[in-house]
Amino acid sequence: MLAYRQGDAGAFTVLYARHKGPLYRFVLRSVKERALAEELYQEIWMRVIEARGRYSVQAKFTTWLYTIAHHRLTDHWRKRGLQLVEAEGAEAVAHRSFEPEPRAEGRQDLQRLAAALAALPELQRETFLLHEEAGMTLAEIAAAIGVTEEAAKSRLRYALARLREALGDG
Amino acid sequence: MAEMERDEKVSAGYRALGGEEPPRALDEAILAAARRSPTRLRVPHLRWRVPLSIAAVLVLAVGVTLRMQPQQPDAESVALAPQVMQTPRPVASAPAPEQEQPKPAVRAKAREDVSAAPASQLAAAADAMRAAPATSAAGAVAPSPLRAEVAAKLAKTELTPEAWLARIAELRKQKRKLEAEESLAEFRKRYPDYKIPEALR
Repeated sequence: MLAYRQGDAGAFTVLYARHKGPLYRFVLRSVKERALAEELYQEIWMRVIEARGRYSVQAKFTTWLYTIAHHRLTDHWRKRGLQLVEAEGAEAVAHRSFEPEPRAEGRQDLQRLAAALAALPELQRETFLLHEEAGMTLAEIAAAIGVTEEAAKSRLRYALARLREALGDG
Repeated sequence: MAEMERDEKVSAGYRALGGEEPPRALDEAILAAARRSPTRLRVPHLRWRVPLSIAAVLVLAVGVTLRMQPQQPDAESVALAPQVMQTPRPVASAPAPEQEQPKPAVRAKAREDVSAAPASQLAAAADAMRAAPATSAAGAVAPSPLRAEVAAKLAKTELTPEAWLARIAELRKQKRKLEAEESLAEFRKRYPDYKIPEALR
């Protein structure tokens, strides 16, 4: 990123190749609409390009990138009128329309997992995706989305619990 | 630090969902935008912009401050300046510098000579000088004893006839008739052939 900031366009190509997949999946599984995901994904990279002058060597690029992604997604959710709230145990899940699939193996497990992932509250899903797709630690996740480590840990635990349920490990 | 939460089964299940990639067209659009963007940010120059601005402002401030400092007046000029101001410019083209030339040395010499001057002359000159400040332009100050001595000296030896007469006229204007007459008498003694203006006779 520093090299790109200094004018090395080739450095951006390397950076992009490394992060494009995880970021794309992060956005896609956050908004679930492909066209919208592609639009948001492109906007996030445009912001990275425009803001490269503000990139600080103290910040890990992954954290910086997903901070930008988080802000863009938050704007999107707020525009949609979605209330971003912390899940309060199982009650938050019960408020969503979620019909658990009958228990089965293999493909159906995956389908249930996908459905459970889609059904997660935005904040919990985001935390899980940052952890799973971007490979970020709880500290990095907390820094990227502007919460405490405890809050990040709580969200991740909730998400894992719901997803475990979907896989039949309740 | 909080322990990292991980569930291997969930992770494996998640990975099995597939590794979707962005469409190629999207990749190319983003890479093209990155290439189009100015290749070199003027970050190094920006780094210097603030310090340079501060330095420029400091130089300007120092320069303005130095210019605005009032010039320290020469001590002798201060003592003698009222002297000059109290001496009205003669109507005729008398050499004005005569009054001003001795300024630097007058104070020292005045102290020596004044003691030798007749008391009546000193008194008349001192009175004339005391009257002058009232008519002078802005800047006149109350005569100090030293200035009175200097005034006496000037009145005695270095006042031009025109200036002397102007002082006499001033005394009359101030209704100090006796002093004016005494000064006029002294003037006539000094300059017996001088044609005194009608108004002062």
